[in-house]
Amino acid sequence: MNRETIVGTSAPRVDVRDKATGQALYAADIDLPGMLYGKVVRCWEHAHARVVRLDLSAAAKSPGVVRVLGPQDVTANRYNSSVLDLMVSEQMHDMLGDIEDQRIFTDHVKFQGDAICGIIAKSEEAAERAAAKVIVEYEPLPVYLTADASKQPDAIRFTPEKPGNLAFQLPEPMFPGHALGGGDVEAAMRDADLVVEDVFYVPKQKQCQMEPHAYIAKLDSTGRLNCWTSSQMPKLVQAKLAKLFGLPMSLVKVTPTVIGGGFGTRLGLISEPQACAMAMSVPGHAVKLLTLREEDWVISPSRHPGKYWMKIGFRKDGTPLACDARFENYKGGYYLDASGTAFTAGAWLGGMYKFPALRYKGESYFTNQGLTGAYRGYGNPQTNFVLEQLIDRACAQMGADPVEWRKQWHKGVGDDGWCPGVTYPSCALDECLDRGAAAIGWSEKRRQYAHQSGTVRRGVGVAVMNHTSGAMPMLLEHTACTVKLNEDATAEILFACSDMGQGSHTALKQIAAETLGFPFDHVQLSSGTSDVAGFDIGAHASRTIYVGGAAVKKACEDVRRQLLERAGRHLQVSPDELDIRDKRIFVKADPARAIEAETITRAGVYHFIDPATGQAGGEPGQIQGYVSFFAPHNSPPFGASFAEVEVDTETGEVRVLELVNAHDIGRAINPAAVEGQLEGGIQQGLGFVLSEEMYYDGNGRILNNSFTDYKMFGPSDMPKITTILVEDPDPVGPFGAKSVGESGLVSPVGAVANAIFNAIGIQFTEAPITPEKVLKGILEQGVRDYGSIGGAH
Amino acid sequence: MKNRDITLHINGEECRLNVAVNRTLLEVLRDQLGMTETKYGCGTGECGACTVLLEDGKAINSCLTLAATMDGKRITTAAGLSDFGRVNHIQQAFIDEAAIQCGYCTPGMVLKTASLLATNRDPSDEEIRHALEGNICRCTGYEKIVKAVRKAARTMPAPAACGAETCTEVAQ
Ligand code: FES
Ligand code: FES
Repeated sequence: MNRETIVGTSAPRVDVRDKATGQALYAADIDLPGMLYGKVVRCWEHAHARVVRLDLSAAAKSPGVVRVLGPQDVTANRYNSSVLDLMVSEQMHDMLGDIEDQRIFTDHVKFQGDAICGIIAKSEEAAERAAAKVIVEYEPLPVYLTADASKQPDAIRFTPEKPGNLAFQLPEPMFPGHALGGGDVEAAMRDADLVVEDVFYVPKQKQCQMEPHAYIAKLDSTGRLNCWTSSQMPKLVQAKLAKLFGLPMSLVKVTPTVIGGGFGTRLGLISEPQACAMAMSVPGHAVKLLTLREEDWVISPSRHPGKYWMKIGFRKDGTPLACDARFENYKGGYYLDASGTAFTAGAWLGGMYKFPALRYKGESYFTNQGLTGAYRGYGNPQTNFVLEQLIDRACAQMGADPVEWRKQWHKGVGDDGWCPGVTYPSCALDECLDRGAAAIGWSEKRRQYAHQSGTVRRGVGVAVMNHTSGAMPMLLEHTACTVKLNEDATAEILFACSDMGQGSHTALKQIAAETLGFPFDHVQLSSGTSDVAGFDIGAHASRTIYVGGAAVKKACEDVRRQLLERAGRHLQVSPDELDIRDKRIFVKADPARAIEAETITRAGVYHFIDPATGQAGGEPGQIQGYVSFFAPHNSPPFGASFAEVEVDTETGEVRVLELVNAHDIGRAINPAAVEGQLEGGIQQGLGFVLSEEMYYDGNGRILNNSFTDYKMFGPSDMPKITTILVEDPDPVGPFGAKSVGESGLVSPVGAVANAIFNAIGIQFTEAPITPEKVLKGILEQGVRDYGSIGGAH
Repeated sequence: MKNRDITLHINGEECRLNVAVNRTLLEVLRDQLGMTETKYGCGTGECGACTVLLEDGKAINSCLTLAATMDGKRITTAAGLSDFGRVNHIQQAFIDEAAIQCGYCTPGMVLKTASLLATNRDPSDEEIRHALEGNICRCTGYEKIVKAVRKAARTMPAPAACGAETCTEVAQ
């Protein structure tokens, strides 16, 4: 039984009162004296063009304008707005081929929305008016929207370093044959009794965080560059800005602001370079740079779309023999994150089932679509859409039950996870499958839906997933944390990793309070600024609790040890014999022998010597704990999703009736927050599989950069949701916790696709599965009873 | 650009303002009055982040409303629902039900809830979801928000006991 009293409770979030009353300050809400307003002039007309003339003279004379900045007026240094290059060793960096190919203002437009120049004015309105007076003449260049187009030998090169516009492929020295996996795939396929194979398309999904990107920058009187940003990775932003502007890090200060949703879009830089370049041209003045929603849509990276081939071979009895796959993604105009998703899509594939032979190739090609980068799930929903549908196709043909097949063949404890050599320390996927199946009524419904008639058909589907808890061993996993005790025995924790709204700071505070033996409210946690907080990678890869929580726990254990040592000397027992509850330190065997923690902390700070006796009032020194923590392992979470859908075969509409998300999260530090992650993940997963995609015209201009034209699931579209938290404490994670931030959106993707298959006997290879595609599928293939496919019963 | 003198009664306080006729209520609230609890999410009436409440309990998108057309109107923002840090029952319900994640949609959500409850004290789940259609949340999947609205309906002070200042959300 758990003995914890704070960990495992749904403690109210630390920031909700401010958020409920609207007092929380997001970057756009911050107002500094004498503030000026920036505006980035972007290319809206073309997705690929060269600037042949830029005339800023009329804009410069526009009323209220303070400065106009073209490419010549800012540093010529290039940058890479992703942070992956900082998270790998130099040797690996060279192997991956990371490049810096972005400029603050460009003369070669590579996607619609590329930045051309900047205006600084006394008001936003004045800046906007001046922006309209900028004259730019373009020489349009051929627009490449797919990898097939940009890899043609006569295509214009996006950057000289990357021949064939191949931004990235798995590097040969690390992945022989540019492939991840092992075993003899060809031979295994020859031995297979059943081979399923198809080509899929996965969509360009947008994070749609509700807070548009906003920044404030200021070069202060000491020559320090200050930047207020809602980046998910403030410490790496500091390093990136320092490098870009050639400043020592001590002259760059990053202040994280409240984050209005991240989902990956704030992983690294977006417009910090432009905001800072503007501020550097008007020393002493803060410059606020806001982003319009329609602009936010095109300038921040989205999910990687592309073509995904996969082939899986099985023996008659269901034994999987081999999986062969290739994901060719449409990168967008710049390199950022080219290596990440191309790799991870295959990593999740490798981590899922016991394929004796696996060969996955991941490639990123430059295209003139909008940028791609991190998006919650990071390659995993793409793989889920493909892999889980093919598994169900095979199950239908072999007459296997999809739940039973998955239970038999998924990887588990002791198997290699997504990275070979890093084995799974825990896995409760079977329990997820059992409880999820019971919740949705799997067996009865599968029987019932095997044979149907009428225009409206129902189906249930299942899908599973594995994810990650931090990015060890591929990427650096380092977090520093400082804990200090005030004289009244309250604790202040400094930890740089941001809370994007998922509630991580609340959960970390619970971990701290539990470890210290202090009440929840006697612990304060702050992410500080880059000045005061220690190093941290940032909020990515679902790492904040698994890695950050472990760091906070370790730093608090250090403090606890110091407290107990002083108490032990006072009570004349060994520290091992002591425990703390509610700030009272007592002898475990004799709880009446005790001392208040405050007696110790107060004496440590207000350390007076009694002038009469010459005696000290206690031991001197403020108690502080510090840890520079590297994650020793990676304990991925697992999940199973079950969906029930209704398909109208006349209109092609798919209605999701119920979605069950059963997740093996190790231990829920804050169950309500964990549920919130799974529920929110479902909304985004449903969007991926059914409704969300950025559409472009033939010239690479976006067609749906608005909430009306880009269809997300609204409150009435959402199905009945059931979340099941499967708690099987992980031996490594803090208090047994694994991650939950991203994983909730992954398996709903495959579950819905498979439920549609169960309903109408058709699989769809292009996501999102819109009504048009369903109708087309029905027209071409006809509605079939699932029970009549292959050996299915 | 022409300007106009107007008077707005915001959260019970009278504000005399000189506004450009092309300024939206959202811009005036945020930029002229510094009331940043009203959020910009799209500027085109599609997300509800900028929701404010009028005296008849109607919720409007302030990004679609010209300030100059609001002369004499009583307006409530999310800050107006609480009193010196004491949150009202709707905000409390959002806190209790863990319906707040990033919080960017929250001011709009609580005001939309107030608007719904002003006309329907006991809404069904379907009515709640329907009422929230114009307010986008990308974090929660709406599940806990719907629960919070249900709880807010349950914990709503009885109309008789409802004084003018404690019940600004229905702005009677
Ligand atoms: S900002 Fe007004 S509806 Fe989105
Ligand atoms: S809580 Fe983030 S948008 Fe609703």
